Amino acid sequence: MANVADTAPASGETRSATGWSRLRGLGAATEIDFRLFGMLVALALILLAFNILTDGRFFRPANMVTLIVQAIPVAILATGMVLVIVSRNIDLSVGSLTGIIAMTYAMLMTDWLPNMLGMGADFPMRWLIALAIGIGLGAAVGAIQGFIIAYIGVPSFVVTLGALLSIRGAIWYFSNGAAVTGLDPTFQLIGGGARGSIGEMATWAIGVAGCVAVVAALWNSRRQRQRFGFPVRPMWAEITLGVLGCAAMLGLAAFANGNYLPPGLAAEYAREHGITEPPGGLKVPAGFPLPILLLIGVAVVMAWIATRRRFGRYVYAYGGNPDAAELAGINTRLTILKTFVIMGILAALSAAVVSARLNGATLDIGNSYELYVIAAAVVGGTSFAGGIGTIPGAVLGAFVMQALAYGLSFMGVNSPGQNVVAGIVLILAVAFDTWNRRRATK
Amino acid sequence: MRIQRLGAILTVVAIGLAACTGTGSSPSAGGGDGTDCTVAVSWNNFQQPRWAAADEPNIKDAVESAGGTYISADADLSSEQQLTDVSNLIGQGADVLILLAQDQNAVLPALQEAKDSGIPVIAYDRLIEDPDILYITFNNIGVGEAQAAAILEAVPSGNYVLIKGDPGDPNASTFLPQGWDDAGLKEKVDSGDITILNGPEGGSGDWPADYGTYTDAWDTQTAQENMEAIIDAANADDVTIDAILAENDSTALGVVAALESKSYGFPPLSGQDGDPANLNNVALGKQYVDVWKNANELGKAAGQVAIQLCQGTAIEDVEIDIDSSVAPLDGNSPTDFETPGGNTVKSLILQPTPLTAEDLDVVINAGWYAGKEEICNGVTEGDPGYEDCQ
Amino acid sequence: MTAESQRNATPLVDMRDIRVSFGGVHAVDGVSVDLYEGEIVGLVGGNGAGKTTLMKTLSGARPADSGEIYVNGRRAEIENPRDAKAYGIETIYQNLALAENLDAPANVFLGRELTLAIGSLDDSAMENATRDVMGRLNPNFQNFKVPVMSLSGGQRQGVAIARAVQFNAKILIMDEPTAALGPAETAQVRDLVRQLRAEGLGIFLISHDIHDVYDLSDRISVMYHGKIVDTVRKEDVDADAVLGMIILGKRLGEVTSEELAALH
Repeated sequence: MANVADTAPASGETRSATGWSRLRGLGAATEIDFRLFGMLVALALILLAFNILTDGRFFRPANMVTLIVQAIPVAILATGMVLVIVSRNIDLSVGSLTGIIAMTYAMLMTDWLPNMLGMGADFPMRWLIALAIGIGLGAAVGAIQGFIIAYIGVPSFVVTLGALLSIRGAIWYFSNGAAVTGLDPTFQLIGGGARGSIGEMATWAIGVAGCVAVVAALWNSRRQRQRFGFPVRPMWAEITLGVLGCAAMLGLAAFANGNYLPPGLAAEYAREHGITEPPGGLKVPAGFPLPILLLIGVAVVMAWIATRRRFGRYVYAYGGNPDAAELAGINTRLTILKTFVIMGILAALSAAVVSARLNGATLDIGNSYELYVIAAAVVGGTSFAGGIGTIPGAVLGAFVMQALAYGLSFMGVNSPGQNVVAGIVLILAVAFDTWNRRRATK
Repeated sequence: MRIQRLGAILTVVAIGLAACTGTGSSPSAGGGDGTDCTVAVSWNNFQQPRWAAADEPNIKDAVESAGGTYISADADLSSEQQLTDVSNLIGQGADVLILLAQDQNAVLPALQEAKDSGIPVIAYDRLIEDPDILYITFNNIGVGEAQAAAILEAVPSGNYVLIKGDPGDPNASTFLPQGWDDAGLKEKVDSGDITILNGPEGGSGDWPADYGTYTDAWDTQTAQENMEAIIDAANADDVTIDAILAENDSTALGVVAALESKSYGFPPLSGQDGDPANLNNVALGKQYVDVWKNANELGKAAGQVAIQLCQGTAIEDVEIDIDSSVAPLDGNSPTDFETPGGNTVKSLILQPTPLTAEDLDVVINAGWYAGKEEICNGVTEGDPGYEDCQ
Repeated sequence: MTAESQRNATPLVDMRDIRVSFGGVHAVDGVSVDLYEGEIVGLVGGNGAGKTTLMKTLSGARPADSGEIYVNGRRAEIENPRDAKAYGIETIYQNLALAENLDAPANVFLGRELTLAIGSLDDSAMENATRDVMGRLNPNFQNFKVPVMSLSGGQRQGVAIARAVQFNAKILIMDEPTAALGPAETAQVRDLVRQLRAEGLGIFLISHDIHDVYDLSDRISVMYHGKIVDTVRKEDVDADAVLGMIILGKRLGEVTSEELAALH
């Protein structure tokens, strides 16, 4: 994601004359979203703290890649939860839905498609067929929930709580309670790992493409504003943003390429490419794992939907003032229904990453996800009052929460300790946010 | 798969029937007049595949082949529901109660109600602190011992990772680690032969409480994420992981997923339960040992005992007739067991079976709910379980 | 504009025998009102007199149970806010009905966003149009990129009005436009309303504030318990007389000077 200002109409930027004023002046010139920037700083501080606590063993490409991949299932869901919470609803069923779709993928690939439909144990594109069915299932469940919430008027808390229970129960019947393993090898690549990474050259290509995209976005935005003769950012600010954005993209690519293939795979690589392994083993950069690309894709599309599409505008308008949205002639019910359909589709994508990582599915996949996803959205600045929240914020929120869990796990702190810290951080983040907003609106 | 599974269940039932007719003359199993006996089972969580696939059909079969009636209820993980269930089962005319307690303390009122009605109670698989019950279970300490014994034999020295289960479960925090010690793990750690990689910061702490990583709710994904962090930390320290002791199969499954996602290879790994996916991993060489509690035999024992109790046999005089490989070391009649709560209860403690790739034929031939097709799925020549899968 | 020319023209809006009831209560009970180009008609009455409900039938927020509405002499079917907007009827609500978390252009174009070829929002074009219309109404306004929650009450009312006039509204319904405002902002809004009348719009003005109504309106319709008591031309009455009609629910000629004196 670009670190440039998110254009969601949500930041509570105002003019204040505190000690921050100089920094805010800089912010005003570059139009950086200070909230998002603050979160990046917080995330960096967390990583730095862990690095110091572990004597520098923590902040390494391989570890950061693990951390990011672990955060992805929740991060994907959090992008949709933002829209749900912004439009004054809640979705407690995401974890169960992710679980049942993960089990659906596993059953489709190991049993239903090969046995019931007689397609044999190994046929082409089965991973794609499974994925399409999973996405369809997610969208359908989302549409049913959305319909009951938007058109029948049952509170979303109740509908999705009911779905949380009944879907979790339904998973049992798919496999009679057993864990199912042995997915399609192509499908497993969605989960990343050393094999599911795109390699050095493709990673650089994506880094360069990201850099070009940042510059193009800045240039396009400037051109749009010049079209009508609006005030534009000073040129130095544009250049600063472009350089920073480009550096971030290329830095990420370089960092991902600092993550090497494990020795076994490197040896395999050496054999395939006819390279003699040097003593100490060949260092083959692994690059971006595929799920990171999936998350980038999801985040970009969701941010585009949220800020650049009518639908997104209506979601925020409804969240800000349901009556105003209704009086403006917006089809608010359809808008709400769509947010749940999107949530269902995202659950299918999240389930793909989880089950591919696990190479299978268990009964408890997605357990408590609703809590982590809501926490990520809220830490990322989404407000339960409605109308406020950003997609990049939620993704960062997921990273912050997972950074704590992973870092503590890395240090050998057990789960009770992790939960204590995660809970406190959640409260502190929201408390700080509330205080900051109140101060800003004074 | 559902059809396969139905087949497996039918096979189990058929074997059970054959066993009963074959041992019809034995004084313990059937033969007697159990026609008026109603045996009630209160399950705590029937959703776990094991209960429906292994325990229940065997209890039911042992009861019905002796002419008795089988009734049951599932509390779905609710202690409160279990109290209601027990009342209802007593109301339905239960003569003997087999109780799989959701919580060993919360279930005490239900136990009292059964005792007041003069109904003998069998604590099945999980202990209830009361001197009047008969406790039928597998040797949980023995499970840990079998796990550690197998892994220690394969990797006598090196770097170990300990993956524990839910921190609130005494099996995870106390019994299984105690079994590991019985197999000699602690000695080897003290002597320096073995290093626990996920031990306490600074290297000193309470054994076993501060060593190893707990897994909330025995959740597979949690185990996977924890294991990935442990692998990263080991790589950062430039040390290799030589062996992994995982307490059960759901956590072992997460460990295997982590090893795969890191392409780490598969150091010897333990588990327990005999879950289909894990037995498959044993055959594929991804998990070294799975300590199997043959719940078919546990169910059979409970059914046999229930009928005898119903017929008026005193608790200490009941006798079970089960496969000798899992039979209690102290004989086929109950012996005294000192509970952690200070009670002395009569107990039948069955022996677990460690399964490595060489022993898979044992489980394949036992009519376990994980059938050969599942256990041998994807096994090709060169995999450790190839021979037994032929 | 003279009364004669008004009478000869086709009314912009002609509402006939409008009825609305809520669970047996007749909130609006056979009301007929009309509105001409370049005219402000004040709707006054006590709480629950039915002013707001009557206007909701015109704005589409709460369709009438019975009665007919003619716009420019043609029968209009108004079932929802979208229908009303199609007839050039725009409403400025008492509670402003702005999405407080969105900026001014987003609010002005809410529900009618401008898009680019691929269906993306054209925020620059919307900002441009908003700058145009706000420049006409309130040339000092410059806060186009901040959520309207951080604007002053008068500025927000400006945004609400800009939203109405942006789409070439012919008919404007203003429900308590100055209720939430301080004196300076009230004056600002009154100037705006007069400017809109000068541009030829017809405006229904609902207000509790008799001075607001008397100051701005060309005609005043007094409502009492769901019915129109009387419609009077401003030059025929003074504010006190209107107050008497509101409180007593009597026609202009029926309010005696004793009764009026008793009110003071």
